[in-house]
Amino acid sequence: MKTRVLLLIAIVAGWPTVVGAQHAAPLTPQDSALHVLNRLAYGPRPGEIERVARAGVLRWIDAQLAPDKIDDQIVARREREFDVLKSDRGDLARLYAEVQRARQERKRMGDTAADKPDDSPVALKGRRLAAQFQQLAVVRAALSERQLYEVMVDFWTNHFNVYFAKGADRFLTPDYIEHTIRRHAMGAFEDLLIATAQSPAMLFYLDNWESVAPGATPPQAMRLQARPLFGRRRPLFPPPRDRVPTDSMRQRAPRGINENYARELLELHTLGVDGGYDQHDVIEVARIFTGWSIKRPQQGGDFEFHDWAHDTGDKQVLGVEFARGHGMDEGIRLLKLLANHPATMHHVSRKLCQRFVNDDPPDGCVDDAVAAWQRRHGDIREVLRAIFQGPDFWAATNVRTKVKTPLEFVVSAMRAVVAEPDTSPRLAQVVARLGEPLYLHVAPDGYPEREDAWVNSAALLERMNAAMALAAGKVQGMTVALDSIDSVADIEALIGAIDDRILGGTMSQNTKQVLTRQLSGISDPMQARALAVGLALGGPEFQRQ
Amino acid sequence: MTISRRVFVKSGGLALFSLGLDPLFLARAAFAVRPSAGPPDRRILVCLFQRGAVDGLNMIVPHGDPLYYRERPRIAVPATDVVDLDGYFGLHPRLAGLKPLWDSKRLAAIHAIGSPDATRSHFDAQDYMESGTPGVKATPDGWLNRYCQHDREHQDTPFRAVAFGPELPRILAGTAPSLAIADLQAFGLRAPQPAARDRLTRAFEELYAASATGLLSTSSQEAFQAVQTLRRVDPTQYQPANGADYPRGRLGKAMLEIAQLIKADVGLQVAFADVTGWDTHVNQGASEGQLAARLAELGQTLTAFAQDLGEKLDDVVVLTMSEFGRTVRENGNSGTDHGHATAMLVLGGPVSGGKVLGAWPGLDPANRFEGRDVAVTTDFRDLFAEVLARHLGAPDLSAIFPGFTPDLARFPGAISA
Repeated sequence: MKTRVLLLIAIVAGWPTVVGAQHAAPLTPQDSALHVLNRLAYGPRPGEIERVARAGVLRWIDAQLAPDKIDDQIVARREREFDVLKSDRGDLARLYAEVQRARQERKRMGDTAADKPDDSPVALKGRRLAAQFQQLAVVRAALSERQLYEVMVDFWTNHFNVYFAKGADRFLTPDYIEHTIRRHAMGAFEDLLIATAQSPAMLFYLDNWESVAPGATPPQAMRLQARPLFGRRRPLFPPPRDRVPTDSMRQRAPRGINENYARELLELHTLGVDGGYDQHDVIEVARIFTGWSIKRPQQGGDFEFHDWAHDTGDKQVLGVEFARGHGMDEGIRLLKLLANHPATMHHVSRKLCQRFVNDDPPDGCVDDAVAAWQRRHGDIREVLRAIFQGPDFWAATNVRTKVKTPLEFVVSAMRAVVAEPDTSPRLAQVVARLGEPLYLHVAPDGYPEREDAWVNSAALLERMNAAMALAAGKVQGMTVALDSIDSVADIEALIGAIDDRILGGTMSQNTKQVLTRQLSGISDPMQARALAVGLALGGPEFQRQ
Repeated sequence: MTISRRVFVKSGGLALFSLGLDPLFLARAAFAVRPSAGPPDRRILVCLFQRGAVDGLNMIVPHGDPLYYRERPRIAVPATDVVDLDGYFGLHPRLAGLKPLWDSKRLAAIHAIGSPDATRSHFDAQDYMESGTPGVKATPDGWLNRYCQHDREHQDTPFRAVAFGPELPRILAGTAPSLAIADLQAFGLRAPQPAARDRLTRAFEELYAASATGLLSTSSQEAFQAVQTLRRVDPTQYQPANGADYPRGRLGKAMLEIAQLIKADVGLQVAFADVTGWDTHVNQGASEGQLAARLAELGQTLTAFAQDLGEKLDDVVVLTMSEFGRTVRENGNSGTDHGHATAMLVLGGPVSGGKVLGAWPGLDPANRFEGRDVAVTTDFRDLFAEVLARHLGAPDLSAIFPGFTPDLARFPGAISA
C-alpha cells in the first residue's frame, strides 16, 4: 500500500518517471510517453513521443480522458468524405431491399448467374458503403487526436459484438456503431449497456427481436405489417455469396422464447461466465426481455416494446424478484441491476486490464478498476483513470509485452509513416487479410485480445508483406510521408533515425546489425529507406506495444 | 521439425510422457480403431463445406420412392437419368464420375443427417456445424481446431491445419495453429522478382532470429520453415497426375492445392475448403440446370482429386457437409426452401464405401420434420466424431464436441474399422 501512496504522490506531482511495482528500474519520460502512446493510442507518430514527454505524460492522459475537449477537426473533415455517414439505417435498408428485388427478378427470369456476385449498380453501391464503413474505423483510429476514445470504441465494439453480415445487421450495424457504441464509449457503463440492449442491431444479432412469451400472438394489424418480413417470396437483401444468408429474417414466425440474448448478456456483456448465474437465470432473463423488439426491421426501424409479446408472469433473477405487470421497465431494472453487479464490475474491469496492461491481467489492476467503478458508479473514464494510475500499468514487466492486434498493427504502421488514407477500402482490407475483418466476427465474444489468437506463421508473413507495402507507399488510396526520416545518406544515421522516429528507441542491437547488413550495397537512398522502414515495421519490435 | 514448443507449452510437457496412464488413453482405446493402412501421421482429413444448404434429395436421389416424384413434379431427377446405387438411392447424373469410387467401395453417402438444432438460418446453422456445438453460439473455436488442440500426438507442422480461402473459417478458428491460404503460389513474402523475394525473406528471417521473443519467435520460425518447404514444392510447377482434370474455379483450385500439399508431404493433416451456390430457392433444375451445374463442378473436382492422389488416396478421407437440407416439396418458383436433414459424402481409401448410410426416415409427411422436411436421424456430430476417431485416431471426442456424448453404437459406419 505504501508504494501505491508514494506512487500516487508522484503521479499527482506530474512526475512521469514512475516506478514499476515489480521492478525498480524507472521509466524515463520518453519510455513513459512511448508506453502510453502504445496502449492508450494506436502508437506514436514521428516526433510524438518527444511532444508527449515534454508536455507531461500525465497531462496527456488527463486530456485523453476528456475527448470532448480535444479538437479533432481533421477527422471531422475526413468524415465528410464518407458517404456512408450520410445514409441512415432507413436509407441503407431501402438500398438493400432494392438490391434484393433486382436479384429476385433476375432469378425469376431464369438468370442462372444470379448466385454469382451481383455487379449491378445498386449492389456495388451497397458493397461500397459497407467497405467504406470498415475503412472509416481505420481512418479514425489513425488520424484522430482522440486516441483513447478510438481505442475504447474498438474495445466496446468487440465487447458488444454484432455481425455486419447477418441479415438486417447489414444495414443496422453502421447506425449501431455511430449512435450506440460511439455515443457511450466514454460515458457510464449502465447507459452503454441499456443502449446496446435497445439497439436494433443487437436485438437482431442475438435474436431477441423475435423472442415472445409462449403462446403470445401478435395483434392483427401487426401480422399484416409483418407479412413481407416472414413472407416466402421476398427475402430482403442478397448475400454477396450465400455464406451469408437471406432468410435469417424470414425463417419462421416467432414461436416462443429465445434465450440467445439473455445468455450472452450474462456471460459476455455483464457478469462473465463465472459470474454466479445458472440456466434458470438465463431463462428468467429471456422472459424479462420478451417483447423487446424492432419496429419494421426490414425498413431499418427503431427499438419497439411489444406489450403483446411480453411474458406477464413473475420472474426472479439472481434471487431478485421482478414482479409481473411492469412490462418494459422490468428489463430496464434488470439492466441496471446487472450493470452495477460486482461480478460485472470484475468481469469488465478484467477485460479492460487485459486490453491496457497484460494478456493475463494482474489482480491489482482489476482491484483498482473495480474500486473506481464502485466509487464512481461505473463512469468508464474513472475506471480507466484508475488503471492508468495503478502500478501494474507502469510495471516494467508489462511494458512492450502485448502483441498488437491486426487493427493495432496496421493503424500504428500508418501513424509511423504518416499515412494519409482516403475513403477507398484498401487499409481495411489489409486489416482483414491479417485476420480481423472489421465488424465481421461471427461469434458474440468479439475479436480476442490475447496474442495467441493473432500470432501464427501465415499471419506474421502477411504482417511483413503489409509492412513492406505500407513503407513503400504501395497500398492504394494512401500516401505516406517519410520526410521525418531524412538521414538517408549514411546507413548508421538512417537506422538511428528509424529507431528514433518509428520504434521509439526500442530497436535491439541485433536488429541494428541485421539492418546494417541488409542496407549495405543498396545505392539508391530512397530504396534503402523504404526497405529499412519496411523491415522495421514488419520486424519483431514493432509487433509489440 | 520435431515436437514443437507448443506441445510442451500447451500440454505442460509432462503429459506427453504419461499418455499411457491418463484418461486420454482410455478414450483412445474405446474409439480409436485405427485401420492398419499407413502410419498415423500420414492420415489426412479434407472437409468440404457446401455453403448455402445443398438439396440432399437431388444429390443422392431416392428414385425408388414415388413420393419423391409426386412432391417434385418440376425438379425431380427422372429415374432414367439417375445413376442407381442400391435400387432405391442413386447419384444425380452430374455426379456420375463418382460411380467408380462407389463401386470400389471408396465412396459412401449418409442420408438424413443434420443438426439437432431446428434453425433454418444459414448463418446460425453454418455456425453450429463449424463450432460443433448446435444451439450454443458462444463457443469460441471450431471443432477442427479443437481436434488439433487435443490430439497432441500429431506434430504441429506449419501446414498441419490449412483452410483454402482468404479467411480462416470458423471451423478452424482457435488456439491451435492453423493457416488460411488464399493462393499457395503467393504464400510467403511477395516481391516483384524471385531474387528480391528471397533476399527479403532472408532479411526478415534474420531479424526475427535475432530479436523475436516468445510466440513471435516460434511462429516466425514456423513461417520461414513453411516458406522454405513451399519453395521446395514449387507450386508454380505443379502438374496433376494420372490425367486428373480439375474444373476451373475456386473449388477446383483449392482441391488441386490440397492434393499438391498432400503429395509434397509437408505435414498436412486437416484441410478445409468451401464452395457456395447451393441455396436454390428459384429454378433449381433437375438433371440439368442450376443445381446440376454446381453438382457437376463438385463431382468433377472430387473425381480429379481422387485421380490425382492415386495411391495416396489410401490415407485420405474427404468429408462433405452442408448446414441443412431443403424442403421435400418444390416451391412455387421451381426451387426448394430451407429444410432440415441433408446428405453428406465420405470419400477416400479408409472409407467403408458402396453404401448409403444412416437410418432413412422416408418421405412420408407423417415422418417429416415439422411436416415438411426430411427428418434428421443422424446427428452430424456422430459422423464427424467417427471420422475423427476412426480415421485420425482422435483421443478425446468429448473435448472436441463439448456437451455431446460420443457413442460407438451411433457411428454411422463410414470408416472401415
